[in-house]
Amino acid sequence: MELYNNNDFKFTLIKNMGNLTEKLMEELNCETVFTIPVFGGIGVAESVVVTWIIMAVMVIAAIILTRNLRVDHISRRQAVAETIVTKLNGMVESMIGPEGKRYVPYLATVLVYIGIANIIGLFGFKSPTKDLNVTAALAIMSIVLIEGAGIYQHGVKKWLHKFTEPIAIVTPINILEVFTRPLSLCMRLFGNVLGSYVIMELLKIIVPVVVPAVFCLYFDIFDGLLQAYVFVFLTSLYIKEAVE
Amino acid sequence: MGTLIAIGAGIAVLGGLGAGIGIGIATGKASEAVARQPEAEGKISKTLILGCALAEATAIYGFVIALMIIIMLK
Repeated sequence: MELYNNNDFKFTLIKNMGNLTEKLMEELNCETVFTIPVFGGIGVAESVVVTWIIMAVMVIAAIILTRNLRVDHISRRQAVAETIVTKLNGMVESMIGPEGKRYVPYLATVLVYIGIANIIGLFGFKSPTKDLNVTAALAIMSIVLIEGAGIYQHGVKKWLHKFTEPIAIVTPINILEVFTRPLSLCMRLFGNVLGSYVIMELLKIIVPVVVPAVFCLYFDIFDGLLQAYVFVFLTSLYIKEAVE
Repeated sequence: MGTLIAIGAGIAVLGGLGAGIGIGIATGKASEAVARQPEAEGKISKTLILGCALAEATAIYGFVIALMIIIMLK
């Protein structure tokens, strides 16, 4: 017995694909939620609003966890806070080395932010890292920090001299690297988040039950956290290289 | 025109081939290394993740460019 007509099935599939293209386009251009009426109107995109939500969550969590800190007889809440901070600091510090200790708080914050941003899609929000502008901003912040760390550590003269190392002929490549590094950081994060989203949507059309849940574990949770780790890992690697 | 765009996007995604081979070789070598020196597992897996992320980037670029071809030329 045939449960459904084959042609019917094909038709639904094609119709869903059409919906997917529309949905994809909708996901790609980030619409403006509201406009601030100063200087001729500043548009506030959806990713900014979701970022505010993430910021609020992070700030509230930080406030709740760090209330009534004590040296002895610590509460359970303080133990949790201490574990989180120690683990994060240890993780970032093992990547960046002892010389880059000053940059650990920033990198840990970026790690937490991208981690939350990548999995916030599970809670029905549009994840901000799916917007190219957000990842571009993060990448630009990273490259400014990298070059700034180099200047701070060595001074302008030595920093400029570093471009000609190891031999003078590689100078153009070294200068090019200043632009390709943020580009690759930005595109990697954006492409990964968008790619896993597209694959999940395709999967949901073909097999609507059970299977997407399994893949969701990999694509939405594991891959999202891994990409946050990779972003911070690469940034700290570049900083380590710059301050050496 | 639509067919050409589809073919172009398909060719762009071929970049994933290199990433697949690269990550495969890296993972194979990493498991060899762990078998030889199980105590160095932490360091090896960290290096592996970094290598995979860098190799994966080519596939991601292919995907982004395919998407751009579809969206820009439509």
